[in-house]
Amino acid sequence: MDAAAPKPKENMGEPLPRIDARLKVTGQAHYPADLPTANIAYGALATSSIAKGRVTKLHLDDARAVPGLLDIVTYGDMDKFERPKFGNTGATSIGPLHDRTIFHDGQIIALAVAETFEAAEEAAQLIRADYEEEKPTASFDSPGTKTIPAAGKSPLFKEDVKAGDFEAAYAAAPVKIDQRYSTPTQHHNPIELFSTTAMWEGDRLIVHEPSQNVTGWKVELARQLKIDPARVRIVSPYIGGAFGSKGPMTTRTAIVAVAAKRLGRPVRCVTSRMQAFGTQTYRAETRHRIRIGAGKDGRITAFAHEGWEVTSRPDAYVVGGTSATGRMYDYGSVLTHVSLVQADRNTPGYMRSPPETPYVYALENAMDEMAVALGMDPVEFRRINEPKTEPIGKKPFSSRSLIQCYEQAADAFGWAKRDPKVGAMRDGDWLIGMGCATAIYPTAAAPCAARVRLTVDGGVRVQCSSHEIGTGVRTVAAQMAAERLGAGIDKVEVEMGDSSLPPAPVSGGSISTASVCSAVLKACDAIRTKLFAAATGEGSSLAGSHNEELDVRGGKIVAKSGASAKVEDVFKTMQVGAIEEYAEFAPKSATPQALKKLYAGQPEFHGGESDEESVKYAFGAEFVEVRVNSYTKEIRVPRIVGAFAAGRIMNTRTARSQLMGGMIWGIGQALHEATEVDRRYARYVNRDLQDYLVPVNADIKDLQVILVPEVDHAVNPAGVKGLGELGNVGTAAAVASAVYHATGKRIRDLPIRIEQLIT
Amino acid sequence: MSQPSALPATDLNRRSFMTGTVSAVAAVPLLGSPAKAETAGRSDTGPREPAVTSLRINKQPYELSLDPRTSLLDALRDHAGLTGTKKGCDHGQCGACTVLVDGKRVLSCLSFAVMNGGKEVTTIEGLSSTDGVLHPMQQAFVDHDAFQCGYCTPGQIMSAIGCVNEGHAGSEDDIREFMSGNICRCAAYPNIVAAIIQARDETKGA
Repeated sequence: MDAAAPKPKENMGEPLPRIDARLKVTGQAHYPADLPTANIAYGALATSSIAKGRVTKLHLDDARAVPGLLDIVTYGDMDKFERPKFGNTGATSIGPLHDRTIFHDGQIIALAVAETFEAAEEAAQLIRADYEEEKPTASFDSPGTKTIPAAGKSPLFKEDVKAGDFEAAYAAAPVKIDQRYSTPTQHHNPIELFSTTAMWEGDRLIVHEPSQNVTGWKVELARQLKIDPARVRIVSPYIGGAFGSKGPMTTRTAIVAVAAKRLGRPVRCVTSRMQAFGTQTYRAETRHRIRIGAGKDGRITAFAHEGWEVTSRPDAYVVGGTSATGRMYDYGSVLTHVSLVQADRNTPGYMRSPPETPYVYALENAMDEMAVALGMDPVEFRRINEPKTEPIGKKPFSSRSLIQCYEQAADAFGWAKRDPKVGAMRDGDWLIGMGCATAIYPTAAAPCAARVRLTVDGGVRVQCSSHEIGTGVRTVAAQMAAERLGAGIDKVEVEMGDSSLPPAPVSGGSISTASVCSAVLKACDAIRTKLFAAATGEGSSLAGSHNEELDVRGGKIVAKSGASAKVEDVFKTMQVGAIEEYAEFAPKSATPQALKKLYAGQPEFHGGESDEESVKYAFGAEFVEVRVNSYTKEIRVPRIVGAFAAGRIMNTRTARSQLMGGMIWGIGQALHEATEVDRRYARYVNRDLQDYLVPVNADIKDLQVILVPEVDHAVNPAGVKGLGELGNVGTAAAVASAVYHATGKRIRDLPIRIEQLIT
Repeated sequence: MSQPSALPATDLNRRSFMTGTVSAVAAVPLLGSPAKAETAGRSDTGPREPAVTSLRINKQPYELSLDPRTSLLDALRDHAGLTGTKKGCDHGQCGACTVLVDGKRVLSCLSFAVMNGGKEVTTIEGLSSTDGVLHPMQQAFVDHDAFQCGYCTPGQIMSAIGCVNEGHAGSEDDIREFMSGNICRCAAYPNIVAAIIQARDETKGA
């Protein structure tokens, strides 16, 4: 009926409205800080005003004098607990109250707890610290940085990929470029503020906190507090945007839990928008050097990508996007190297398409430069370099529909009408530019468990601890169960976001739909097997039918022959009122310990580049029109078209919305988003939503998402490739290419702003 | 970018309230020691003394005992139990806390609860009819998938109703401009515009 509900094509599910849509438009979807809690006390954080040094003394008297103050948790109060750990579950190894050392600006120095939110805020602001201050190192080029190789520093980034003899091929190439690119610091800024509400019931701890990883947090929080994980429950029924920011648990959670224990009453701490910049994770700034050499026919013979990424002093956070950029095209030879640059900053973390956003931006901007150097159409340049196998391990792609994406998006965009000459297209005072770029994201899946219950009245209940961060995972899980059990979607209930449910992996890396749907599918199929066994028993109408000839539809078990049996009657035969199945899914390449690790909150990811038989990626192509005012240099994006192929699309409505949101994120990366770092103090300057610019409604006009049909049975049982992160990869490069086409200025440092076009 | 009106029309706005508070405290040290000043600052007229505040929310009367510094947003969420209104920044920069006060959109984080006595406050919980039929704007948001995570949605819907009522929904460009005080980080913007057009057309003349 409208653009929001695209008609399903081959291998695509119906655009059903979200099953939780009504809750979300009536204010009844409860986010963690909304959950009613009796007798609550309020917590507020006090944070450091320096980036490097040591706290020598805290002044707490003024804070303690605030009427209604209940407690202050600070140095010494966390000593008997374990320090945080850095990894997929923990945001940093810095234990802010374990240690008086200050590693970054805005580090937690105390938590004030009071009867009211107002009193807690007042008290926190009255806490003062004396410091032994040292001069901090802010970022690239600051005195005192330490640069180390990234390979091997993270289990997710084992090596710098390479192939062939790059140096020789580059030296011999008749056409070549050698350019440097950069991306700025960015913060996720989900609109939901970060919060922790902790309460103890005897020796059991319940935490309400927005989380993309309730199972991992349960285990990690229990480790820090030295209690049995079975006594910890993390509850996060709805999450108000995440984008990676709620993946790893931060140090606040244990501190609030300790405050609640000391007081013997629930404590809620909602972090202010400003404090979140220093107490949560972020996307660190990156730098890139790219060299590409090609023959005059446009065939690439040499590709080198060097990357530099900022991280904190104690934690080696790596994104390492060269794993994907090194496999993107048929390069001939490949050389890559990634370095970490340590500075006095908080530890960065995952932010929507962590490796691909910065690295593919650099690659695709360079590809456009190379097309210009060759005098070749940028779409044609990519077509010429389309690989049959990936260049590093020579493995095939499980599926790769990039050229179909380019063709369909180019057609819808009207690319053929583009005059390739720079500055040739104009509308009054506005210079028009058109550009395009490739989107790529690795397809992975992780072990996942789910419980499905079918009752005699046809009701279905799905339980899985995955997380509804806005992707629509509840809805697609319901669709999968409805389809396999022949139920109406309105008969399906889905429970998620609670660590007491069957464990699911972290909702990151675009793995949720594939992993959750594969587990739900498995549980539903076990229910079908039981139903079919009962329905085909001697004397029944379906006796003698084989399972593969049977399906469940509309409350009936239906055979190919046309014979059928009511599910209700089969239940009677079985003399039960419900069938419940618990299923554990593990990807084909999973290790024998994979399920155990899932329960321990350390899920294995499989797919992407790691599988033996093939590499697995989803692809897309994005086309952008920009208009640059010839006098003011204001940049607008009136039109953007993206075509994406991602295997089975479970629901065209939620898929389109995710891709659309990603593309708009991409426009934000290109033109708006940057956290400014004060280089003198290693401090974030624009710590609010007024000065940290993100796209608003008036920034977006025509946007079209094309879902390109693709079938890929190799990726996982559900045949699903993730697409939550695909949409914002490549967009910024398409914008940069369009700006070049309009103005002749090649902007290599994001974001592209008026000041870069004026000079 | 235009912002929805942050403050209702009243003599007691946040600026004059803050100024009043600050001057009262600043005058205190003249009376004696800082300790005494603290006590004096907490007299009946002090900023922390609970004030009984009468509010009308979704046509229901509420009597709340509030720290006078309590924002309308925190009064709704923490004291009236109406958590549909969301806190996204507490600085009037994101629009998530938008409610209607006497029919006009207001950022509830920038308004003290005590400034709203005698006014009619409408929140997301007050929109659908008692028989459960959604307001046309709520239904339009469902129809057009005008959200993903849903967190900014109550504010978007309240702001959208205000936008239509103000006559600022005449064209798509107008809607984009007058809805730009409500940030949607999931970026459902094109769907929000489509939803507002549907609801605008359905409620025309109503």
